[in-house]
Amino acid sequence: MNTPAQTRPSTTDQCHARTHLFSPAAPILELRSISCAYDSSRPAVRDMSFSVREGEILCLLGPSGCGKTTVLRAIAGFEPVRSGEVLLSGRVVSSPSETVPTEHRRIGMVFQEYALFPHLRVTDNIAFGLNHLPQAERRRRVDEMLCLTGLEGFERRFPHELSGGQQQRVALSRALVQNPVLLLMDEPFSNLDPDMASRMRQEVHALLRQMKTTSIMVTHDHDEAFAMADRIAVLNQGVLEQMDSPELIYHLPATRFVADFVGQADFIAGQIHQGLVHTEIGTFPNTINASEGDHVAVMIRPDDVHLLPNKSADPRIVARQFRGSENLYRVQLPSGQIVHSSESSTSVYQEGTSVELRVSATHTVLFQAETPPRP
Amino acid sequence: MIAVRPSSLSSLQLVALASAALVLLPLIYITTLALSADPAVWSRLWTTRVPELLWNTISLACAVVLLALVLGVSTAWIVTRCEFPGRRLWEVALVLPLAMPTFVLAYVFNYLLGFGGPVEALWQMLAGPQARIFSPQSFLGVTVVMGLATFPFIYLLTRSALLNFNVSFEEIARTCGASPLRRIISVTLPLLRPSIVAGVALVILYVVSDFGAVSLLRYQTLTYAVFQQMTGQLDNQAASILSVLLVILALLFLVTERWFRRKSRFYQTAGRYRAPQRIRCNWLQTVGLTASLAMILGAAFGVPVCLLILWSLSPEALVILDARFFGFVWNSAVLATLAATAGVLIGLPLAYLASRKPTWLNTGCLQAAYAGYVLPGPVAALAVLVLCLNLIPVVYGTVLVLIIAYVLHFLPAGLQSLEPAIQQITPNLEEVARTLGLSARETVRQVTLPLIRNGIIVAWVLIFLQTMKELPATLLLRPVGFDTLAIRVWLEASEEYYQLAAPSALLIVLVGLPALGLLLSRDWRAA
Repeated sequence: MNTPAQTRPSTTDQCHARTHLFSPAAPILELRSISCAYDSSRPAVRDMSFSVREGEILCLLGPSGCGKTTVLRAIAGFEPVRSGEVLLSGRVVSSPSETVPTEHRRIGMVFQEYALFPHLRVTDNIAFGLNHLPQAERRRRVDEMLCLTGLEGFERRFPHELSGGQQQRVALSRALVQNPVLLLMDEPFSNLDPDMASRMRQEVHALLRQMKTTSIMVTHDHDEAFAMADRIAVLNQGVLEQMDSPELIYHLPATRFVADFVGQADFIAGQIHQGLVHTEIGTFPNTINASEGDHVAVMIRPDDVHLLPNKSADPRIVARQFRGSENLYRVQLPSGQIVHSSESSTSVYQEGTSVELRVSATHTVLFQAETPPRP
Repeated sequence: MIAVRPSSLSSLQLVALASAALVLLPLIYITTLALSADPAVWSRLWTTRVPELLWNTISLACAVVLLALVLGVSTAWIVTRCEFPGRRLWEVALVLPLAMPTFVLAYVFNYLLGFGGPVEALWQMLAGPQARIFSPQSFLGVTVVMGLATFPFIYLLTRSALLNFNVSFEEIARTCGASPLRRIISVTLPLLRPSIVAGVALVILYVVSDFGAVSLLRYQTLTYAVFQQMTGQLDNQAASILSVLLVILALLFLVTERWFRRKSRFYQTAGRYRAPQRIRCNWLQTVGLTASLAMILGAAFGVPVCLLILWSLSPEALVILDARFFGFVWNSAVLATLAATAGVLIGLPLAYLASRKPTWLNTGCLQAAYAGYVLPGPVAALAVLVLCLNLIPVVYGTVLVLIIAYVLHFLPAGLQSLEPAIQQITPNLEEVARTLGLSARETVRQVTLPLIRNGIIVAWVLIFLQTMKELPATLLLRPVGFDTLAIRVWLEASEEYYQLAAPSALLIVLVGLPALGLLLSRDWRAA
């Protein structure tokens, strides 16, 4: 993360404050430059390192095929690692030479399709991992879990007699009832309709906080990651691009890929001149210490751009997309460059209107022009 | 246009009704024959033959199911969950025993395990000259033969269930700390249960209705008894009573299977597909697995086929390869062609109507056509025989009676490939053709028939090959002196002329191999 050294204004400190809540705790999970591969020529995960602190909720975010599920499966012990080590509670559980079997790792898992045992009732599904406990203790733990997840009254049902949200609660209960060291969730909300998904997100978030369960969740949906995570790890093509709090990921993306993946972003070409970045839409501070005459790109988010209708201005509105709570405008600059602007729901301008752009970014994110920089 | 449609449909409907009647009438006829029998006949049968026959049939079915379960599930597990050299080869080879009619397998085992046969000689070399092994003509012998002939049914269904199995279930069980053994017992096997039960039902129906093996190994089952009542005692009434019992027994098994499947119809074990992680075997395990698979397959297919080839090349066998032999081949081919064509022609309207106009009448006709499923060969023969004797005695002793019996017997097999073929085509395709100006008749010719062509071909080939192998109905209904390949095998094998039976048996096995290819291409969802 050396190339785009960002300015860190006041928002950054607020972002950090949230993660500091958990910082003194020891890492529960540590990945030390692991690589995984289905076939050796094309590794699914390359040289990845990160650690997860106790009680933290981490999201692995990335497009499909970026290796996020492979990382999750390597942590669970379903996939062997080609190189590097996975440490769970300070103990090496995966290395190229040995793999501790999943059943000895004390890990909870929730799959995308829940994988509830269709031949077992809700109680038996939840109690599946409590085989070693005496009957009474098992009952007590299951009842406690049913109460926490609001599943009382559904004990005798079979999975097919439950709604999607209920099925997910059962899957979560089954994973949490064993008090796992670490909870892994693979796209847990993608099988629910949008309304239910957002309700379940809040419920699950509250439950994980209440039980102080260290969790890792895989998703391709940045909104979901923002809503759930204490920290987000953005993955691309098997490589960790950035790992930070959601706010930092959004406002100070480390790479062009991250900037693009976690929300709408436009990259405006500019050139360094007398210590400032000169672009079509104004000047910005040179935050990456680029030398005089260098070509750079400034990342602009739609919420940084404000539109003012002005008949003498050159930029023109080419499209408007009404999104309910906002209007997203597509504006074309004289050079052909497209900039997006988010305006309030009631500010309606016709297509073709000439507008003036007011850019009010509290933080400037610069990238080297041409190829996106690699951390 | 609108005026044309109802009339063309109703003519189709008439054909469907006639087909259903063709199937149902014989059934109703033997049922009434059985019910109208003198109570004295019932009580005589009930006190003398029935208990023993029922016990023989049910105990044999249970023993064969056990053996087939062990063989089928374990081999399916090995080829889907272990990785060793030759795995793919075994995966395909394990279905080969299905090409073996039971009467061929029985006749080879009669020789192999028989008095003074090679296995006994081998055993006596090891255990002393007085040592004896079990006779093939015993409960144990029949069980072994039937088990080897039927385990591929369970193998096929279990294998395809294992391949489509959602590995997430096993992975979740691992995160719950379950040991490998507990994962198999409390997760994998219960989830495979629907497929295994379906396989068991197939095996039971096969055993209950088998005639070839039990007649050659002289083991009294209900099916064999029906045949004997008709040929030995010439007592059609007693035969029909036994037939009704047999049909009830088969129905009981089928209903149980349906009930099981209903209970587990919500088992959505398939899901996001991920290939199961196969256990990599070291060389010792590889040798062990290969040896056990080779033993099973050798007994069920390899050794019998080798023996048949050897016998066919013997001088005694070569002598009979004359014009008479090719006459049998011709008879078999003609019969099978006629039966297959008739079966497809009768099956098509039934399947089409039930799919496009699912009124209770049309689906009822289709369900009636499936009744042949629970009719063992001798029962189908008996039903057609008594009906023809009473209604149209002129056809008795002609090929026509045979064809009717075949259609009755094998229509379900044909429908099983016709029905899905028709259901897979959305009616929208036909409707679009009508909006483009084609008449109903032209639509069928230019759209529907070309689209279901493959289904028709599969149905035709399946009926053709089943007819080639058919034994009891042919024996009972054939015109005098009209022999087929299957009949020759059975007649020669009954007299223990092993060499003379071999060429016909080998030909039947070879012709059966392409059918396996067809069966597999339908549901061979390879990994």
